Amino acid sequence: MSTTKDYDVIIVGSGVAGAIVAYKLGQAGKKVLILEAGPKIPTDRSNYMETFLKANIKSPESPYPPATQNAVPSTEENPLGLPDPGEENTPRYTVLQIGSWRKPKQSYFDFQQQQTGLTGDSPDANFAYGSSYERVGGGTTWHWLGTSLRFLPNDFKLKTKYGVGVDWPTALNNQDFYDYLVPYYEKATNEIGVAGSKEAMDKLYTQFDQQRTFGPEYNYPMPEIVESLVDEEFANNVTSMNIDGEPVYVTSTPQGRNSRAGERRQCAGNTNCIPICPIQAKYDATVTIARALQTGNVDILYQHVVSKVLLDPETDEVNGVEYITYDTQTGGKTGTGTATAKKYVMAAHAIETPKLMLMSTSEKFPNGVANSSGQMGKNLMDHIMYLAWGLSKDPVFPYRGPLSTSGIESVRDGDFRKAVYDDTGKLIKGRAAYRIEIGNDGWSWAAGDPFTTLGDYVFGQNNSHTNVSKQNGQGKDLQFNPSLGDNSKLFGKELVNTLNGIYTRQIRLGYLIEQLPYEGNSVELSDTLTDNLGLPRPKVNYQIPEDYVRNAFVSAKKVSTDIFDEIGATEYTQDPGEPVFYENKDGKPLTSSNFQYEGDNFIFYGAGHIVGTYRIGTEKSNSVLNYRQQSWDHSNLYMIGSGVFPTLTTANPTLTIAAMSFSAADNILEDLDS
Amino acid sequence: MEQQMNNFVGLSAVLTGFAADTIAPNIDPINIKAEYFTKFTAEISNYAAILSAYELLKSQGKTDQEIGEAILAIADYEMPCRQLIFLWYSGAWATANGSMTSSEMLSAKSYTQGLAWQVMQSHPMGDSNYRYGYWANEPADLSGYTGNNN
Repeated sequence: MSTTKDYDVIIVGSGVAGAIVAYKLGQAGKKVLILEAGPKIPTDRSNYMETFLKANIKSPESPYPPATQNAVPSTEENPLGLPDPGEENTPRYTVLQIGSWRKPKQSYFDFQQQQTGLTGDSPDANFAYGSSYERVGGGTTWHWLGTSLRFLPNDFKLKTKYGVGVDWPTALNNQDFYDYLVPYYEKATNEIGVAGSKEAMDKLYTQFDQQRTFGPEYNYPMPEIVESLVDEEFANNVTSMNIDGEPVYVTSTPQGRNSRAGERRQCAGNTNCIPICPIQAKYDATVTIARALQTGNVDILYQHVVSKVLLDPETDEVNGVEYITYDTQTGGKTGTGTATAKKYVMAAHAIETPKLMLMSTSEKFPNGVANSSGQMGKNLMDHIMYLAWGLSKDPVFPYRGPLSTSGIESVRDGDFRKAVYDDTGKLIKGRAAYRIEIGNDGWSWAAGDPFTTLGDYVFGQNNSHTNVSKQNGQGKDLQFNPSLGDNSKLFGKELVNTLNGIYTRQIRLGYLIEQLPYEGNSVELSDTLTDNLGLPRPKVNYQIPEDYVRNAFVSAKKVSTDIFDEIGATEYTQDPGEPVFYENKDGKPLTSSNFQYEGDNFIFYGAGHIVGTYRIGTEKSNSVLNYRQQSWDHSNLYMIGSGVFPTLTTANPTLTIAAMSFSAADNILEDLDS
Repeated sequence: MEQQMNNFVGLSAVLTGFAADTIAPNIDPINIKAEYFTKFTAEISNYAAILSAYELLKSQGKTDQEIGEAILAIADYEMPCRQLIFLWYSGAWATANGSMTSSEMLSAKSYTQGLAWQVMQSHPMGDSNYRYGYWANEPADLSGYTGNNN
């Protein structure tokens, strides 16, 4: 089977990036076909909600198909009942797979074996990748948080300013990339319908951008989301602090959810942005897909898995994409076909896109499509997160409102980012930047609450560390109610009051630490593992080799303790224990995300920010795309999404993905019309 | 049967610290008690003895605190009763293995009916009946959630 209509553009993937390009091209009268590997966007979200509500573990992917847990009977080897990715047509990596990242029957990604003889602090240690994505119509914005911050001007010049990473390329006439993006940031802000405070962001951006280049018409389509009582606890009590010379203050987060009724419902504070907003008060890409389809010029085919990008051997231009169709997730293929257009846009996010490019080998291009630089799949990044949690002095009533409504953004940039090396090339000063997200989710992420603390006081356990008398590092007793004995088992009023006292005081900070681009962190093709369609699975290599990045964990740890002290809270952040890299006779389970640094044990969490595997750059030799997001190797091929970012920067990526997609749409239109 | 359900609800109120008419109101279209009763009686072989013990203590005019202490002091009754507390609070059936607890959610409904969300003066994550901006204000008193004076 082949598509017969004459399309101007084929887009692979229906997430936020593909949706925006489809919408803009459709609006301009171009004929567009979207090929989406996953199932169609449901007419309402009740089935996804039902799956979520029933799930034992409410992980970011839990509402979405294919099933993430209890897909097969629980066994000692596979307690969560994870499905076999080899038997699924569109498997994806989920955070439930992190713990079993070296079990190919449970984890989608192939992995790199540890070198022998590593110590706990070795920079060569391999880790499980921390973040996941969706393969459904509408893509991963189904489970995004909604944070819609811009990157900072200096984020684009990390190499020049601070001597690490790379710079983003400049645009036409040597324009700074930040300046190039400003008008597109405005479009992205409007498309997402961001709720934000212009006043708060003026203050913040002026701190980092004396020229105030953030745009003359800069504003938000919706007023800011009101801040939570948790936010206030921090905002009112951290005002005299600074971190590495930067002032500490709390900023209301610009976020893609409705602060008033509009096209979508007003946020009702379901505290469930991740995994799923039950009322779609939060923007997701299905909104833009609907707008694209309404232009009358965009078609979308679901359950069409693109398996190869075809090249014209004469011109090296893309002249088609092959796809495989299926009916049911485990049922195997039902057909194949080829689709053709004038231009092609890859928008399958930063794991599946490079996988597809690497799979698309030919005699003339044995390393795959758009890969003459050898950079395809390289420089995989994520904000690696340090979590810190505690109990506030008085109740602040978390578990209410959106998952996060504020953050400490004022420490995202500064001289601390400058790398200073000694004569031997060893880093002696400098660390990666971070932003600090303030959670309204209590200890849900940090400790699996409310059910962890519940288990403690029902069964006399101490997994929350509140149920045994023990001092934390600051000499404060962790036992919540010292009049109760250790490992107390409660019922009735005493249970009510104890749980209430703990739950209503739970606070959590998350540090989004900027990982550096590193070639060794990469997406390759597995030599041995395939999915149910016979397509190779990604092999993901992932390390945190730089002291520059690890120094940020040391900073985050100290800063958390300082902040908790400042607000009079008791810190409960737990030592995650030593890393275990090898099978051992003691039967200690292998760790996935633990490392040691400067004598401390750390664990990192993924932020869901899959970035950097097909970057834009200044030259064909060191990047996949030019600043227009056009392949250096094939002039009618464009690639969009966070894979294009040369560096991770200090903010959540979606607003910039959207802005870059608006810019790509302009570039493609220009090329179509020239 | 009805007496057993009454005993089940009464025992559940004693153990959870919530008022009986909060967890099982007279007019009860949600009827989560039926789902929990079915689970409890399927999992716990001596459930009838536990419910009878409750009935007896209640008939003797004991207070909730005394009833709870007396029942949990009986070795064969304690773990089933603790599993029942966990069930009401989480909607999931728990197995305590030494220092850890694992649990299985009964249903979408049981998740949303979990008392843990009430005891924190909030709503189940993903199921809010509140309106925009409620999170900027303190919630109603705890007694408004438990139906008891705490």
